[in-house]
Amino acid sequence: MLIKKFKFFFFKKFFLNQKTKSFILKSSLNKNYSIISACSLKLPFMSFFCAFGIKISMNIFWLVMMLASMLVLLIINPSAMLSEMIGASTGALELCIELCAVYVVWLGFIELIDASGLSNKLAKFLRPAIKKIFKVDNEETQKLIALNISANMLGVGNAATPMGIRAMQALDDKSGKANFAIIMLIVINATSIQLLPTTVIGLRASAGSANPADIILPTVIVTITTTVMGILLVHGIERLRQKLKGRKKK
Amino acid sequence: MSAYILPVLFILLFAYCIYKRINTYDHFVKGAKGAIKLVVDIFPFIASIMIAVALLRVSGITTWLTEVLSPIFNALGIPPELTELVLLRPFTGSGSYALLEDVLTTYGADSYIARCACVIMGCSETIFYVATVYLSQTKVKKLFYAIPVALLCSLVGTILACLLCKVM
Repeated sequence: MLIKKFKFFFFKKFFLNQKTKSFILKSSLNKNYSIISACSLKLPFMSFFCAFGIKISMNIFWLVMMLASMLVLLIINPSAMLSEMIGASTGALELCIELCAVYVVWLGFIELIDASGLSNKLAKFLRPAIKKIFKVDNEETQKLIALNISANMLGVGNAATPMGIRAMQALDDKSGKANFAIIMLIVINATSIQLLPTTVIGLRASAGSANPADIILPTVIVTITTTVMGILLVHGIERLRQKLKGRKKK
Repeated sequence: MSAYILPVLFILLFAYCIYKRINTYDHFVKGAKGAIKLVVDIFPFIASIMIAVALLRVSGITTWLTEVLSPIFNALGIPPELTELVLLRPFTGSGSYALLEDVLTTYGADSYIARCACVIMGCSETIFYVATVYLSQTKVKKLFYAIPVALLCSLVGTILACLLCKVM
């Protein structure tokens, strides 16, 4: 009962806007959920289903993941919890040290690209497309986005990360909300326009494949399709939101 | 062939820098200086997402989700052997690469399943990792529809990858 109450509080506080709140309150009063299904099933799924109605943030996702797994662990293996967390953060530290070494190389090269004026040329080349897709006018920002996307295309995601972070900083309007260009950059990075999946090819070669590069063609086809789909979807949703906003004002 | 692309690009870059009369050493050092600060800044974000993923795995929620979602994925044309890979891919890069190596050794590098796994890995990204790390240095808290759209595109890409691997 206590957990149920907590659950409702949790939902009200973090998940719901007014419309969906009344709907979920009604529907979940009808059914009796067990504790485990509540913590492991309902929360993550609800967050997916209501994704379009509710303003979703990393805070919610992290909270759901943590809470669900901690509640399950409490029942099956409480002693593993802390050691597992520390193990994971040790892994993160190792990853960061590795990343640091990688970034030294990439940031060094990127500075060279920048200083030699190549990045400006690249940005000029990609500018019409970036302007149309991201609706960004600032030249510095366009340059960062161009570098981020071209690093992704070459399959060096590690070089794309520092550029992506800087581009996000340039796009941030300090309102705490993601604007159109930020969402677009996330979606484009998520579909990863990768023309050369270098890491995967390397792994396949070392696993003894007869022709490790024969996955390039399907990868390129899929990656271009999903990227185009992502761009169209974001544009479509943005247009819909503008319409809804316009209606509310009237 | 693909092994030559990056080295050649690097050499061309140096040649261009010489042509432009730029002190390569000075600029390389200047750029590399930013690496440690960047890593220090993003470490807490990487750590917290890795902790969440580790807990999800050790609590058995991922295996449970794999069992539940396998039939659904199968209906969409994704081999059930790849369900865990598809599920973990948005969260962890290193974890999904470990799974990919597993698939490559168990089923053979040229099998249908391994080829599917490779294409899926090539055309998807660690969405949650990207979202947290990219936004870690900004004030953005509300992402609106960014993550659902990204996940949807990823899923469509996965289905398409499995289809294409059958044909090609």
